[in-house]
Amino acid sequence: MYLGIDIGSSSSKAALMDDERRILGTKIVNLGTGTKGVYEALENLYAEAGITREDVRYTVVTGYGRLLYKDADRQITEITCHARGMHFLMPRVRTVVDIGGQDSKVIRLDEDGTVRNFVMNEKCAAGTGRFLEVMARVLGCPIGELAVLAAQATQDVAISSVCTVFAESEVISQLSQGAHPNDVACGALRAVAKRVAGLCGRVGVEPEVAMSGGVALNATMVRILSEELGCGVTPAPDCQAVGAIGAALLAGEFYRKANPVETA
Amino acid sequence: MSSAQSIIDALCEKALHPDRTVAESCKQAGKEAVGFYLYAPEELAYAAGFLPVGIWGGSTEIKLADRYLQGFCCSIMRADIEYGMRGTYNRLRAVMLPTVCDTLKCICENWKVAVPQIPIIPVVYPQNRTLPSGEEYLREEFSRVRRELEDLAGRSVSDAELEAAFAVYETWREAMRAFTKAASTHPQTVHAKARHLIIKAGYFMDKAEHTREMTELTRLLAELPEEKCAVRAVATGLVGEPVGVLDILRENDVAIVADDLAQESRQFRVPARAEGDALSKMVWRIADQKGCPFLYEPEKTRGQKLIDLVKENEADAVITLQMKFCDPDEFDYPVYKAELEAAGIPLLYLEVEQQMDSFGQIGTRIQSLAEMLL
Repeated sequence: MYLGIDIGSSSSKAALMDDERRILGTKIVNLGTGTKGVYEALENLYAEAGITREDVRYTVVTGYGRLLYKDADRQITEITCHARGMHFLMPRVRTVVDIGGQDSKVIRLDEDGTVRNFVMNEKCAAGTGRFLEVMARVLGCPIGELAVLAAQATQDVAISSVCTVFAESEVISQLSQGAHPNDVACGALRAVAKRVAGLCGRVGVEPEVAMSGGVALNATMVRILSEELGCGVTPAPDCQAVGAIGAALLAGEFYRKANPVETA
Repeated sequence: MSSAQSIIDALCEKALHPDRTVAESCKQAGKEAVGFYLYAPEELAYAAGFLPVGIWGGSTEIKLADRYLQGFCCSIMRADIEYGMRGTYNRLRAVMLPTVCDTLKCICENWKVAVPQIPIIPVVYPQNRTLPSGEEYLREEFSRVRRELEDLAGRSVSDAELEAAFAVYETWREAMRAFTKAASTHPQTVHAKARHLIIKAGYFMDKAEHTREMTELTRLLAELPEEKCAVRAVATGLVGEPVGVLDILRENDVAIVADDLAQESRQFRVPARAEGDALSKMVWRIADQKGCPFLYEPEKTRGQKLIDLVKENEADAVITLQMKFCDPDEFDYPVYKAELEAAGIPLLYLEVEQQMDSFGQIGTRIQSLAEMLL
């Protein structure tokens, strides 16, 4: 069996795959790098699959926390892993949008799933999951409810600032002037979508477009991003585990390459 | 007898300790130092008996400079002002600063107030540097700088001295072109960080001494077998810093096999014309510089220059080292990006600043590029 681990800034994901490239399970724990999240995810994954750590032949770790995790055979970037995972799950996808907790990335794929080009946001938190976390806190709702609020909006409240800190002040100001939280939530999602659409513009968008990462669970976000890009955007199945699935795929490939006789 | 590695180690050490290196160089040559940034008529200072020393900022905490240059200004000039105010540059008799961007235009006045103990000699390059009138103007401008340096030295500079100084620099430029060519076939011995530091050491040494070291190093490299690396890249931008980025390149076996950096090849890639006196040759070297965002060029040839560098050096990609808030470089980016894309050349954009201390995301980008090209 092959293990893929994706340690992000706000969550840890793990995926298990067999020799036939069947996904045996995925686990997500909402604790990121520097926490026990990854070990909790692995414990749950092993228990559910009925295996132990010794059954794993090869492990690839990816994500923001990949360099700190020492139990893997190899570390690979999240760009490569998201590309591989997405191509495996949705072979016709040519543009991957991943909005992570710490950064956002847009990846262009070739027909065979190799990375043709990629772009990441700069250091600032605008256009990332962190921006949405801050907005949810200001609106006094769990981040998962942002989509619900935004779906009920009757209009967007434009958030003009691209900086998360300034945007927070702007949202507080809008709320104090009587703007409806639903409309503010919608404005926050659109602000992120515009930022991500700007990133997409730097590498060019080629359909089909799919989203990976936890923000893809936000259906309103997916709709708004689709509007901003002017083309359909599909959330990947098991969107949070795409990177981990890609890592598990690569784990199998690396193992087979290193042990051609055994795996023939 | 020196080995290539011992020369590399010695030059890297010199580049990493500029204060010590400049003090040694001044003592050895019996000269006083004059600082300069970017493009300046170094030969004039050399002819006047000074040791021209590059002041390209550094990785230091900015405390004092905030009074004159805010956080959204070029980090190199912020560091230069900081060092000036802190007294780090007190060894310098003067600084020559060109006014090629918005920050530098303001610096000339700021410097007088912020660093009053070190006189400033501004160098104003013409917009229309290739027209006869632009060349005539630049000759006059260099003559003014010459007079200011003569005042500083307390003596006049003869034409023969200027010719001799120009010859020293032209020999150095030729040696540097030969070195970068040799380095491109030895990307392990001359890895990204070493390449940068070897070139940078020349800013703190007497050019004649640096030339000797570079000539010997090039000769020794030619005796070594050619080397491979995972990714051969061309770097473009202002400087190849901070060195933390170069460490990450090395970790991922990405070598810089050629560059279009203002601090590196743009200093020596233009050979002098055969005709004319030294002053004319200095003017023409500025006129003949192509594809540099700090010298006005409506034709925007930088993209083609990068494509040519990729082909000539069998490179796999171009890496943009975009110094944060460097407007001239930012204006060029969309133009050459489109040209590189059309040519099918991968381009990695890295936004950097000298005072950065977190390299996590840059590490991911560089590693992703390496994975993409393998």
